[in-house]
Amino acid sequence: MTVEEGARYVAAVYAVIMAVLVAYYIISSRRVSALQRDVQLLEEETRRRQAQATEAGAE
Amino acid sequence: MKKLVSAPALFVGAGVLLVIGALLAFWYAPIDASSMGFSQKIFYYHAPIAAAAIAAFGVAFVAAIVYLRTQDLLWDRLGYVSVRIGLLFSILVMITGMIWGKAAWGVWWAWEPRLTTFLLACFLYAAYWVLRSVVDEEQRRATYAAVFAVVAFVDVPITFFATRFLPEGLHPVVVGPGGGGMEGSVALSFAVCLVGMLLLMAALIRRDVEIELIKDRVTDLKTSLGG
Amino acid sequence: MGGWAQFKAIVRKDLIRELRTRDMLVSMILFVILAMIIFHYAFTVEEGSDLTWFTGGMLWVTFIFAMLLGLNRSFAQEKDERCLDGLLLCPVDRVTIFLAKTAGNLVFLLIIQAVAVPVFALFFIERSFLGDLLPFLVVLLLADLGICSLGTLLATISMNTRSRDLLLPILFLPLIVPVLIAATGATTLIFAEGTGFGSLAMRMLFLLGFDAVFLVAAWGTYDFAIGE
Repeated sequence: MTVEEGARYVAAVYAVIMAVLVAYYIISSRRVSALQRDVQLLEEETRRRQAQATEAGAE
Repeated sequence: MKKLVSAPALFVGAGVLLVIGALLAFWYAPIDASSMGFSQKIFYYHAPIAAAAIAAFGVAFVAAIVYLRTQDLLWDRLGYVSVRIGLLFSILVMITGMIWGKAAWGVWWAWEPRLTTFLLACFLYAAYWVLRSVVDEEQRRATYAAVFAVVAFVDVPITFFATRFLPEGLHPVVVGPGGGGMEGSVALSFAVCLVGMLLLMAALIRRDVEIELIKDRVTDLKTSLGG
Repeated sequence: MGGWAQFKAIVRKDLIRELRTRDMLVSMILFVILAMIIFHYAFTVEEGSDLTWFTGGMLWVTFIFAMLLGLNRSFAQEKDERCLDGLLLCPVDRVTIFLAKTAGNLVFLLIIQAVAVPVFALFFIERSFLGDLLPFLVVLLLADLGICSLGTLLATISMNTRSRDLLLPILFLPLIVPVLIAATGATTLIFAEGTGFGSLAMRMLFLLGFDAVFLVAAWGTYDFAIGE
């Protein structure tokens, strides 16, 4: 097998590995940002309700 | 707001090692003397990925045992994530193994012991996935998944051993009885790639565990808000 | 009541329940013989084609699928009639339950095989293998034990999930491949050439090892599998 033929196989392997890993990383990164937004919104909502509860308690 | 996922130091380490490993593989290690010639370079990433996949399943096995002993859901998350990363790497092993097969033997698929065992491992851990999805209750899901992870990890080497009963395989035996061993330059390049790939696996597992914990936090917050 | 007495009591209960209605046994025997007929039609591609080298495979594929059906049925009854809840309330060691369930399934499989193997020999095997009956029985028993212990553990898990009949084969089939490889090879060799213990020793040892490993694995995890 010539180097050129071999290089095609090697390039295919390295390209597949990179593509799969990068795709996995990007997908999970998008999940992280969505989750972070969720956590933020939920924490705000929790604080708001707590504040309401203390106000109601004060009156 | 504080960052919820840790700094990517492990990723950087893994990336650096993998790049150095690839450079060594291409410019330091000699072109293989066998008929595979240059295409043998596939080996420098293919075999470490296989090792990392097995290591990830090993982590899942240990996490399963610890979970069964402690009933601490953190270990369940670790096991779940390790299986997922192990599956991801196994799929890469299958694809790169098929390309290797085409280059070395001229066929895309050969019923070769190691490739076959990996195929079966993929199905086993896919079954783990299905099992998790059909149990609703949290503790029960974790327990069943742990039991299955233990049994599956025990089964994989047995399956590999059983394939020895089948007619001859094609895989090169590099290390071990009958293997040619590795030259110094080949061994060094391979070792760097191996450590890099294991680090990458650890980095991915760690990151995904943290993601799972954020997910748990979201669930907790939702329940405390009255769902 | 000691462990052995409890073991016997549970096995007896399962056998009595089954023999009273016989529906599972009869349908499993029908299934096994039908599977052989199906194999005959599926594999006979030309007139008088020799199926000798497929015999081990046909036999074990049939038994494994029959076992899947049987396991699903036996645990479905336990679950639906809430028998198992009652059993768990008794002061019985979980491991005893596992061993008794495995033994019960083994007895069923053996009864089915007692009918199926002669029919199979009549259909597919031209060579008389009576002289090699002993190695054949050893392989049969060792493989059965592996199939039943692993099957019982996995059926216990799958019956408590949402998709129980569908889940069991997905869990069971990939795990049972080593048994299939060793048992199929050994059985085919016996049917085709009549090899004695010598050349089968490795496969038998392997099956024995498999049984030992999974009995231990199930012994360690059954507590968790069967739940509270």
